[in-house]
Amino acid sequence: MSELFTNNLVWTGGAQTNWSGLLNIAKNALGDAGRFADHRVLFVVDDNRQALAAVIYGLTNCLDWGVIERSRLTPEVEVRCYENGVWPVPIAGSATVTAPATVDHVHGRITVLTSGSTGLLKLIAHDRETLNTFDRMKQADTQTWFLPFQIGSYAWYQMVMLGLLVERQNLYAAETGDLAASFERALATGQITAISSTPTFWRFVLLATDRDVLQVSPINSISIGGEVVDQAILDQLRNIYPKAIIRHIYASSETGAAIVVSDGLAGFPVRVLNDPQRKIGVKVEDGRLFIRSKYCTRTSGGDWVDTGDLIEIRNDRVYFCGRSGTTMINVGGQKAFTHDVEAHLMSHPTVAWTKVTARKAPLVGHLPIAAVVLKAPMEQEQAEQMLVAHCTGKLADYAIPRLWQFLEGIPLSSSLKS
Amino acid sequence: MDAGEILDLMNLVVTKRGLPAISDMALSTRDAKFRSLDFSEVALRIEDKIGRELSFDAAEMRRIVTVKDVVDFFTEASRAA
Repeated sequence: MSELFTNNLVWTGGAQTNWSGLLNIAKNALGDAGRFADHRVLFVVDDNRQALAAVIYGLTNCLDWGVIERSRLTPEVEVRCYENGVWPVPIAGSATVTAPATVDHVHGRITVLTSGSTGLLKLIAHDRETLNTFDRMKQADTQTWFLPFQIGSYAWYQMVMLGLLVERQNLYAAETGDLAASFERALATGQITAISSTPTFWRFVLLATDRDVLQVSPINSISIGGEVVDQAILDQLRNIYPKAIIRHIYASSETGAAIVVSDGLAGFPVRVLNDPQRKIGVKVEDGRLFIRSKYCTRTSGGDWVDTGDLIEIRNDRVYFCGRSGTTMINVGGQKAFTHDVEAHLMSHPTVAWTKVTARKAPLVGHLPIAAVVLKAPMEQEQAEQMLVAHCTGKLADYAIPRLWQFLEGIPLSSSLKS
Repeated sequence: MDAGEILDLMNLVVTKRGLPAISDMALSTRDAKFRSLDFSEVALRIEDKIGRELSFDAAEMRRIVTVKDVVDFFTEASRAA
């Protein structure tokens, strides 16, 4: 089992500590771990300090555990926990719910709650090995990673395991509340050297934060994933951080991190498909991406996992077109892929963010419509004409959005996706 | 909605594509370069203005030949309850 690097540094609420310090916090709050030994526990926390303390407590005691933010523990989640024999235990204060009859108990299991792309809440079973997707970084240089993700999400656990299982990898946890302001404060400390986040996070930050503020911190490593990564966002980050290594990573809570690309281009090289030398198998069937990996969840049993992601091969490059059933718009029998349209719109210099969806329409069935955030406000009609002109001749006529909604700010979900 | 408002919407849609505004109502939709995608867009813009979905008579729609036919069709459809 991987070693825990408890001397790695952790910043929470702007204060510096390490994992040993966090373990003491958890011991003081939760006491002897023996009372959790036969239960599947979900530690209920208010902030990253408590959450990270719960992580080191769960791991060192080899509990069957998970973490959830108090604000996410809705009645629906409580019912889901009860059905699965999961016991919600607040790290501060006493338990309000008695321990349910444990359906099954597995030492070392880590429960990750995800609503995934389907919106249906799922309890995904992982352990420290399946969440340790950075085991190829044994010789990594010292880094301090900004941790922007929602407590208890898959991406959050991945980053936390990096901070615990890889030597010299420190974490700077975002404060709850205004994420852009928290990021600015973190950058101002000059500590942040690395960040892993989503394209939407960067679009949000690039719109809200001045370029000279972004360049204050010596960031040398940027990882992007969780959503389709387009060329425009890669180019913008390269422009701001010319010396940084910029990787985009294909990962999901079911398959773990599967494809890492660092050549500065969107998509990934076609040679990755069916490569017998790769430890993580990648193949395409019927235009869908399949992954086989040791990082897949316990339930996959080592088989190929259908990711549900649609792909297209163009000029020896594999591009993501979105998810099956949600990102293809049928316009009078022609197929328009929302991610292609979004990627093209994002290549316009005035566009900060966009989301393309379908709207039911007579005669042709559906039409693409676009919500857009511009970097500077413009008159609606002028903005529409500008963007239609940008699309004409580059996208098929049926793929050009027909109705446009111009928003004032980028909608940012708790998973930092849009 | 009246005929003038509907022609304005049609012109908003075609001029956005860089085409000249339509002034001759007798022009065929083909000559005016007013296509099925434009027809659908105008329908959605009308729905947004009147606050409800339009209901169509498919047989009426098939009889459309000229710009005036489109205007009359949408005038009637936007009036129907």
